[in-house]
Amino acid sequence: MISLKGLCKRYGDRTAVDDLSLEVRPGAVTGFLGPNGAGKSTTMRLILGLDRPTAGTALIGGVPYRELRNPLRTVGAMLDARALHPGRSGYAHLTALARSNGIARGRVTEVLQTVGMAEVARRRAGALSLGMSQRLGIAAALLGDPEVLIFDEPVNGLDPEGVRWGRHLMRSLADEGRTVFVSSHLMSEMQLTADHLVVIGRGRLIMDAPLAEVIAGSALTAVAVRTPHADDLSARLGAAGVTVERLGENELVATGATIERVGDLAYEAGIRLHELRTREASLEQAYQELTAGSVEYSTRGTAA
Amino acid sequence: MNVEGVSVESVEDATRGRRGQRAAARSTELVPLGRAVGAEWVKLWSVRSTWWCLAGAAALMVLGAVTVGAGEATDLARSGAGNARLTAGEPVLSAAALVPFAMAAMATLVITSEYASRGIWGTLQAVPVRGRVLAAKALVVAPVAAVAGVLSGTAATAAVAAVLSADVFGVRVALPPADIALDLLRMGLFFALVSVMTVGVGAAVRSAAGTLSVVFMLLMGVPMLLLMTGGSVALEASLRMPLFAGLAFLESADTITGGPIPYPAGEGLAWLLAWTAAALAAGHAMLRRRDA
Repeated sequence: MISLKGLCKRYGDRTAVDDLSLEVRPGAVTGFLGPNGAGKSTTMRLILGLDRPTAGTALIGGVPYRELRNPLRTVGAMLDARALHPGRSGYAHLTALARSNGIARGRVTEVLQTVGMAEVARRRAGALSLGMSQRLGIAAALLGDPEVLIFDEPVNGLDPEGVRWGRHLMRSLADEGRTVFVSSHLMSEMQLTADHLVVIGRGRLIMDAPLAEVIAGSALTAVAVRTPHADDLSARLGAAGVTVERLGENELVATGATIERVGDLAYEAGIRLHELRTREASLEQAYQELTAGSVEYSTRGTAA
Repeated sequence: MNVEGVSVESVEDATRGRRGQRAAARSTELVPLGRAVGAEWVKLWSVRSTWWCLAGAAALMVLGAVTVGAGEATDLARSGAGNARLTAGEPVLSAAALVPFAMAAMATLVITSEYASRGIWGTLQAVPVRGRVLAAKALVVAPVAAVAGVLSGTAATAAVAAVLSADVFGVRVALPPADIALDLLRMGLFFALVSVMTVGVGAAVRSAAGTLSVVFMLLMGVPMLLLMTGGSVALEASLRMPLFAGLAFLESADTITGGPIPYPAGEGLAWLLAWTAAALAAGHAMLRRRDA
């Protein structure tokens, strides 16, 4: 369990994290989303005690990170897979980490096998591909068999097989009852992995809700209808205050009404339907609506 | 169970508790520190730069000592003193003035390479207590620098003895074992303190170039500037800077100042310790205050 209370971080006059309060619960994958510069990485650094908060607290199981004994056995984190000495082998890197927290040496070989890089473990870290570095970073996070896992863009640089592997790994870690907190900008990936979402923009909390709720809340979640009497139904729905978009000869998309209401309105007017279904917004669409107001580096703004 | 029995037990519990607490307090410090030292040890030997720095230190020591020794022997021979005696330890002590720079390079990389690669994030995640990280790094570089000093000093002494015994020099080389052993041990301690001082500077400065510049200024730059001003206060001050303090501790007879440092070895060690402590304190303060 990670708990943030009124967390603030200012660098000079720039506020990176602004009064952030939330809880990341065990047994679920919590996706951490936000535009570039929203404060995701800073929040993670504050949780890990790398940066000091300007105000507020970040606790792990009720304890600040800096007070954890053998922290790698409680929290495993990967912030940046390339953040290690390029001349040191992955094996030596993990051995040093294991020693620092009294973790059995055998665990190093174990996690190297888990992430599928046992063969390249003796190579210099600087000579590893981004995908392999990413796996090494994940291995380091898993080393202490921790309750809490924090990953900043974990599937960045992985090939499609690696992305699938990463997704299954997150899932199984959460299913084992661990707290999994993952940032990503790959919305399609998050939609497949996350149970719960935390969205921030300009350092402030925008949304803290289950994935399903975020998607249902999108304006783009709509009811799609196929009917031979599209004109008729369009008029009926319009009269009932439902926004209708005509997609084709026989197809309509209604927003602002439940699927039950659209079906009932058609029934009352005696209009035959060939198809009636909910068209869910993608997480990407829902996310864009949520963060539209807080994109720090908008491409549109640059012309002005 | 009667009341008396309970009270006796509780007294025993309390005693055991207090003793246990003290033991626990000791272990809360020592066990994690030992683990952090273990991690730093693995890190030190798993990069090539450590080996390069130590090889450089050994080369400086041996070549420096032989060169200085050859110069002294030639001077002695030219001055016409037939069968002059030369102590093998002297040229080694002169060369020892160069080696701290190589030790500083090794110690610099121990901390600045982590900032350059951002590996410091992983280090501080594993050991979030800043002072413990600093202590672990210091405790690893110190013995390595000390052993490197003793070993390279031994090699340099042997090389001086071997080379200068050649007939061309016409001198007799003296090898007083007790003096040489004492010199070597002092040299090891001197190098250990320079390397620990560098770790402190590195923790405060973070970049390799910045750290090496600061350490160079402390060892050479500032004392040279002070000497150039020519004032007597400036001279006294320059002689208390770490390099000259170290040479005083070594009781080196021939230094850049043109003679031995004019105060006792013990005072040299005290100054050296003071500089090291100051650098560590600065490093610790910056580590604690600044974000990683």
